[in-house]
Amino acid sequence: MRIVLAMALLAAACGSDNKQTPADAAKVFDAPKPADAALTDGGVDASCFTNPDPNSNYQIINACTTAQKVYTTHPAPLLLNADGSLPPLP
Amino acid sequence: MKIHGLILAVALLGASEHPASALDCSTLTNPIYLQVGDTQVNLMRSLGRKLRDNAAKPITLVWFASGSCANIDLIYNHNPAAGITATMSYVPSTAEDATWSPANATASPALSCVPPTTTPLFPDIANSALFNAACATIAQTNPNVAVTRGPIQAYVLAVPEASNEHVITFEEGYFVFGFGAGSMISPWNDPMQMFIRTTTKSTLLAWAAQLTIPANKMQGKPEAASTTVVTDLQTSPTPAKAIGILGVEVYDALRSSLNALAYRAKDQYAAYYPDSTASTFDKQNVRDGHYVVWSPTIWMDNVAGTTPTKPDARYVIDLIAGKVVTPQPSFPATDVVAGVGLVPDCAMGVTRDFEQGPLRLYTPAASCTCRYEFVTTGVTSCNHCDATTPCTGTAVCRDSYCEAR
Repeated sequence: MRIVLAMALLAAACGSDNKQTPADAAKVFDAPKPADAALTDGGVDASCFTNPDPNSNYQIINACTTAQKVYTTHPAPLLLNADGSLPPLP
Repeated sequence: MKIHGLILAVALLGASEHPASALDCSTLTNPIYLQVGDTQVNLMRSLGRKLRDNAAKPITLVWFASGSCANIDLIYNHNPAAGITATMSYVPSTAEDATWSPANATASPALSCVPPTTTPLFPDIANSALFNAACATIAQTNPNVAVTRGPIQAYVLAVPEASNEHVITFEEGYFVFGFGAGSMISPWNDPMQMFIRTTTKSTLLAWAAQLTIPANKMQGKPEAASTTVVTDLQTSPTPAKAIGILGVEVYDALRSSLNALAYRAKDQYAAYYPDSTASTFDKQNVRDGHYVVWSPTIWMDNVAGTTPTKPDARYVIDLIAGKVVTPQPSFPATDVVAGVGLVPDCAMGVTRDFEQGPLRLYTPAASCTCRYEFVTTGVTSCNHCDATTPCTGTAVCRDSYCEAR
């Protein structure tokens, strides 16, 4: 089930134009799945891009890898805007 | 003979630093003067040793470490007009001191000399450890300076060993270093425990660009040298709150007392270390784009038209950049570059076009990935090759390994 969910997220991320909205990003980034946590010591991760020739920065930084993954346990920054965007610097 | 005698005198006195009556740098064998970022000092030590022992073309690297933007300003604009006036560094040859080790700066400090005073000394080679354009206020229009892109320099956020933190996100970094005490990000909310660099240093400029914070708005305690950031972290009275910016090669040599934080870039699913794990040295994530905080090193020398003013300076730059040089050196330059934590361009699988800009795939003309992996990890899945054991298929035998191209 978790893999199916991850594949669904992958499919959403790999839409025809490969663009991602901030809202999409928040869904993926701020709620790492329990399945992800099991992958911190390497292994195949379904929530990543599998194409051998990623064609954008987004696909490159999220390409599948056996490298150690680390997920934050910190709460989301309190100063983030409601839509997940960053406020201007003081 | 004069140099040997001086070094012998130092040894007899048990001195660990340069003698009081400093040596004139111009008396050294074939000196090449460099002004480099302090992230490149380990490279100067290792390559300097190799070049002093390079029988086919012995060279003495004589360097002064300063900020990248200052280095650019000096070679392009001769600013300051007095040139290099500070004490410079070099390393002994094996013949002069067989026990000197480039890997141990404490037990084997660099030797010192003073620049010649007959005319202002401007560097034969200047280095920046990020895209030159990041030093936006420095004029870079002098046509008599040539620019060569060198190996890759990664940067980390480091914490003391006693810290419980292992990861930081782009968003957290933006608040920590952009808002300081008002970041509301625990535990990094004490600017006096956030150790940064001054605004001419590549380490600060790279992190500022990565976190989308103007360099002059980075919050924290600015330090003039990486070594001071290291001491700050190691001696922090509140290690849980301490965090500092460092070049990865500085961190790599101090893993027993510091930890690098895994970093999750903007729009990235997970955080990664520069290496494939927290304990390896393979820079896999730098090379394949999972760790994004890196810059190319840039090497500048003086030219008349397209001809190097000092061919031996270009020889040094070409070695650092992984180009074929004549005469062939007595050592594989890739090993030296990889051995100090830099990633040769020929081992990279991604590249970028401006400071902390988006990544794209990259295929070097002549790969050194196999050799790089062997040097940094001790193993490689690539086949070994030599004159009697050629590679199969389209693989190319380079530095003893069958490279893909």
